[in-house]
Amino acid sequence: MMTNDDPVAATHRGLARVWIDFESALVQVPVIARLVGGRLRIDDYRSLLRNLRQQVVEGGRWISRAAASFGPDHEDLRAMFVVHAAAEHRDYRLLERNYVVAGGTLEDIRSAHKNVGSEALSAFMYHSAAHPNPIGMLGAMFIIESLGNRLAGPWADRVAEQLDLPPDALTFLRYHAENDAGHMAEFDRAVALAATDATASATIVRHARVVARLYRLQLEELDNV
Amino acid sequence: MPHDPASRTTRESATGTPCDVIGTGTSGDGPRVTAMLRSAFITRTAQSLPGPPIDNDRMGAFIGSVSPASDRYGRLVLRQNRIRTRHYAIRPDGTSDWTVAGLGADALRLLLAGAEVDRRAIGFLATATTQNDLLVPGLASGVHAASGLPPVEIASLQSVCASAMMALKAAMLQVRAGEHRAAIALGAEFASRYFRPEQYIGTGTMDAQGALPADAEFLRWTLSDGAAALLVEDRPARTGLSFRIDWISLRSFADRFDPCMTGGGTRGQDGTLRPWSHHAGAVAAARAGAFQLRQDVDALHRMLPVWLGELMRLIDEGRVDPAGVDWFLCHFSAHSLRAEMVRMAERAGCMIPEDRWFTNLYEKGNVGAAALFLLLDDLLRSDRLRPGQRIVCAVPESGQCIMAYAGLTVVDGDAG
Repeated sequence: MMTNDDPVAATHRGLARVWIDFESALVQVPVIARLVGGRLRIDDYRSLLRNLRQQVVEGGRWISRAAASFGPDHEDLRAMFVVHAAAEHRDYRLLERNYVVAGGTLEDIRSAHKNVGSEALSAFMYHSAAHPNPIGMLGAMFIIESLGNRLAGPWADRVAEQLDLPPDALTFLRYHAENDAGHMAEFDRAVALAATDATASATIVRHARVVARLYRLQLEELDNV
Repeated sequence: MPHDPASRTTRESATGTPCDVIGTGTSGDGPRVTAMLRSAFITRTAQSLPGPPIDNDRMGAFIGSVSPASDRYGRLVLRQNRIRTRHYAIRPDGTSDWTVAGLGADALRLLLAGAEVDRRAIGFLATATTQNDLLVPGLASGVHAASGLPPVEIASLQSVCASAMMALKAAMLQVRAGEHRAAIALGAEFASRYFRPEQYIGTGTMDAQGALPADAEFLRWTLSDGAAALLVEDRPARTGLSFRIDWISLRSFADRFDPCMTGGGTRGQDGTLRPWSHHAGAVAAARAGAFQLRQDVDALHRMLPVWLGELMRLIDEGRVDPAGVDWFLCHFSAHSLRAEMVRMAERAGCMIPEDRWFTNLYEKGNVGAAALFLLLDDLLRSDRLRPGQRIVCAVPESGQCIMAYAGLTVVDGDAG
């Protein structure tokens, strides 16, 4: 039987499979089960913000490092990474403001350590970004951007339904719900540039699989520092 | 006999039946072993649909009217599923001469009436249904009793729509392993008896105005009755077309989904399911509405990506080539779900062109565990099949999320 040989189509299909598995399995993560099951407490939301902040604060840095690792043959990808890093590198401030509006203190959210899952996720990101021509980072970005594009909006709605919070406490989730669709369109162009053969396609999908698992680990290990 | 040279070689076994030697290619979901396996073919198909087709204007007379609000909701559901006719095993007064076992046995009788093998050659009978006549014993016993078959090996598969694929896989494996040379896979449903007003009136499910919640109403306007059966043998039929069963893949995603279509329980305030047996007796359970079929329609939509993800897996594993599929038999419960599935498949680049889709939903309704076998019977009788054509069957089950696919190849007995 024939297989589909187009590496760009194979990449999109592989990423879709990773995403479907990741998204459907998220309900097994305790904090997400409480979020979607209507059993979320304000402590949960603050914990989520505090834990996410430690990973998000690194985002602009690993994307920049990846940009620096692209050689002359990948100038277009390098430019995309540079633009993306600039767009994201102050995201963590939204989380900090949300945390304070939700009743936390700046000192707490800034001084918290990465949880063990965030440590693993961050270490993998920097490790991969340092490789020459790190096209696998597109798989990593796919997971992070898809979280914003597909889950941040519904999650923000569920938080708003359950907790008596002003809109100012939800701006991080809302920002990503509204802006990551544009990032996904940009992402499709990047995949078309990077997925030139089956090896490149497999590299991108494998990075997505690793990041999906480590992101889930981060959510499973809230406050386990 | 035709075979797929890309993945297997075909040899004559010591008994003279065709065998596949499984090499290192993809070969089902289990561990890859080197073993002599026969091929399995669907050599005959049959269906038994009770009574005449009932159109949308007359269906209310059969399942009865619960309330005007319920009838209004029903018209909305019918617009979404686009079912125009279906069959019922009940009369308008709610009585019936049929049972699930009786419907199954009738399909089996019609199957054997046209088969090339004697009924004494049948070694295995696998049945599929959503709800048996009895809680105990299983449907295969009831069908066997009503069928006139001599003593046979049986298996009763009970789930929802995907139980058809479980029965077909059981029959296929029995034949391929050489345990039996002829087996029957059969699906039967008698859903309408659960949809009569007597099932709802006086229970906690119905509110003061006589309205039912959407999850209790949806299936009343979706499911109907009937049975269909397949004969699975270790060789193609001598005359006419057969289907070679190339592979069957079935996976449960109950690790990540709560029950979505249920019968036999009630839901507490926190959403947890309470089995009927945990109520203070059967009467209390009935009053609480435990014996009603329910469908959480929102959860259905959350399962769609997972069902499609399985198709992507099969494409990546080389078992399905979307462009090489001649017929796509997708069991879906409503036209609206089909439309959403098409949108998603197109986006993900795994769309099987819509002109290859074959369905009988709009005329025969959704007959649950019999639906796959009804599709195969109607396709075989359509006169549109040619030897060598590739068929992919898809059976999603909302129950607690199962997705099953099968790959078949049309073979001509004369060429075998």
